[in-house]
Amino acid sequence: MKKIEIGHGSGGRLTRDLIEKVFLKHLNSAELKPLEDAAYINFKTQHTAMTTDSYVVRPLFFPGGNIGKLAVCGTVNDLIVSGAVPRYLSIGFILEEGFPLKYLEDIIKSIGEAAESAGIKVVTGDTKVVEKNKCDGVYINTTGIGELVKPLPLKNVSAGDVVIVTGTIGDHGTAIALARNEFDIKAPVVSDCASLNALLMPVLKKDGLKWMRDPTRGGVATVLVELSNSTGFGVEISEDKVPVREDVRFISDMLGYDPLYLANEGKAIIIASGESANKIIAILKKHPLGKDAAVIGNITSRFKGVRLKTKIGGERLLDMLEEDMLPRIC
Amino acid sequence: MLREAESQMLSAYSLIMNKAKDVIKLIRSLVPSDRKIRIMNVCGSHEHTIAFSGMRSLMPENLEIIPGPGCPVCVCPESDIINAINLSNRDDVILVTYGDMLRVPTQKGSIRAEGKNFRMITSPFEALNIARSNPDKKIVFFSIGFETTTAPTAAILEMGVPENLFILSSHRLTPTIMEILVKDADIGIDGFIAPGHVSAIVGSNAWNVFSEKYGIPTVVAGFEAENLLLGISEILQQLKNGKVQTGNVYKGVVKPEGNVQAQRIMNKYFEVADVNWRGIGYIPGSGLELRGEYSARDARKAFQLEEVKEAKIPGCICGTIILGKAYPSACKLFKKVCTPKTPKGPCMVSMEGACNIWHKTG
Repeated sequence: MKKIEIGHGSGGRLTRDLIEKVFLKHLNSAELKPLEDAAYINFKTQHTAMTTDSYVVRPLFFPGGNIGKLAVCGTVNDLIVSGAVPRYLSIGFILEEGFPLKYLEDIIKSIGEAAESAGIKVVTGDTKVVEKNKCDGVYINTTGIGELVKPLPLKNVSAGDVVIVTGTIGDHGTAIALARNEFDIKAPVVSDCASLNALLMPVLKKDGLKWMRDPTRGGVATVLVELSNSTGFGVEISEDKVPVREDVRFISDMLGYDPLYLANEGKAIIIASGESANKIIAILKKHPLGKDAAVIGNITSRFKGVRLKTKIGGERLLDMLEEDMLPRIC
Repeated sequence: MLREAESQMLSAYSLIMNKAKDVIKLIRSLVPSDRKIRIMNVCGSHEHTIAFSGMRSLMPENLEIIPGPGCPVCVCPESDIINAINLSNRDDVILVTYGDMLRVPTQKGSIRAEGKNFRMITSPFEALNIARSNPDKKIVFFSIGFETTTAPTAAILEMGVPENLFILSSHRLTPTIMEILVKDADIGIDGFIAPGHVSAIVGSNAWNVFSEKYGIPTVVAGFEAENLLLGISEILQQLKNGKVQTGNVYKGVVKPEGNVQAQRIMNKYFEVADVNWRGIGYIPGSGLELRGEYSARDARKAFQLEEVKEAKIPGCICGTIILGKAYPSACKLFKKVCTPKTPKGPCMVSMEGACNIWHKTG
């Protein structure tokens, strides 16, 4: 099998070969094709949003996706939850010498597919190769730029707002934990890795939408703790309203994970006014990615921090996790 | 279709909700107003459910639910862990053990930080597989835990293990430590929630000693909050009407006689020994070592392991917490310098450790 060589990152003939035969085969926007040092891009709006993220997930391929799909969806989601329509994407690769070319092509193919379905164009990129054992196969960085439709600053959030989650939580974290094969557990849990712009665009236009965030590393609980810390409001969550797949709950119990802290790669937390909640839930449920959307709690000025009302009616605090339950989750 | 399934689930769910509410109401009515009742759980998974369900926030003021010695990782002697570190640093050895054991701090560091050749396993059968696929190495299985993990270790011995597999046994006996606690007047236990998994092995009859000899109601419970609440209510009922006996609200899993087959093989390969409990000290007849006839498989003998003197961890009160004499929040190190990321004492390491659980649930 053909493998990545140090020369593939040299900027010379091998690099050119790799770009033309692998990258351009699957990524073919007009902006990328000239292969100039910078891409020329246009915007329809005056204001734009920009975000960047690096991906070091282990394993590179997992049920429901791979590092390539993740690198597109993650950045697309960061833009859409910030109120921007994702438009342009840059991709930087760090490849390990000896990495099979076929795997790289599978990753690039996923990037092409994910970008196309999210309506974002890959317009520029970079490839570097490091010696064997100096990285773990592939690391990817993506930067995304989007056209701002509606800024969603934290100061929008106020007491009486509701907390919505767009679907079942903890799927990605559980899928990755199982894909590592460190536990002798077989279960059909698939990562929820998906671009959320089609789901969230109609929500973005709704009155009453206050703030959004995609609960990746650290999960729903961490996002809500940060929200509480930054706004000074309290967050009340009802355990029985939080959608969790039965198998995810079971595996979490076995492995000592809490789904509230497990990573998601295709879910959003939405803070909206109480009056708009039903309409937003109805919009979300029209899309397959939003079929399990639910109001899970509300924002309050009665206390600070995040409190979980448990199924038996008890109460416990949700705080930042000290330990990383699963390192290299995205 | 979906709607129907959903509504069925909802009605089943509201039934559980009502049940929990009803049992909580019952518990409130059973707790006397003129004295404190102290019920101890002796299982990390029970403490996990209690803390994560916020159960203590629902209990009347006069009812205390105390976490006891429910975490085998927490009581594993420092000496055994240091010996495990030393073994893993030998080029001819691969040390295998359960994940939590890798992170337990000692005066010499943890296995993860200071060891060299070690692997995490989730079941003794993995130890067996590692031994078979590494015939040129000596595989030392650092086997720890209460009766629940002793049984599968006995099972691999019964299956027949290769010559290159050795057992470093740090197994502990639940009923023995519970009896020690009962005799300690400082703790003052009014009732025990008996551990569900351990009871599945030893049988609910193993707890009869507490009702018969000490007049302490002991009720076996499962791991759902509703089931634990039911167990607590039964203890309170018994205390109220004075008819004290072993109870079992986990009957689907736990039989009076337990798992007789498991008991037979445990007894075949292991014998009761006087062993050290970290932070507590030596307790006669409270642990299990391999029987003399299997000494060729005994890592203590094969590698001539010597006991390392336990070092006190400054400020750490893990030993007191394990005995139910203090809550984690009473420790000066708790949540300040001792966190799951930087554990100073063993109870902060394992997800069955009271300090670790309390840290996560505020």
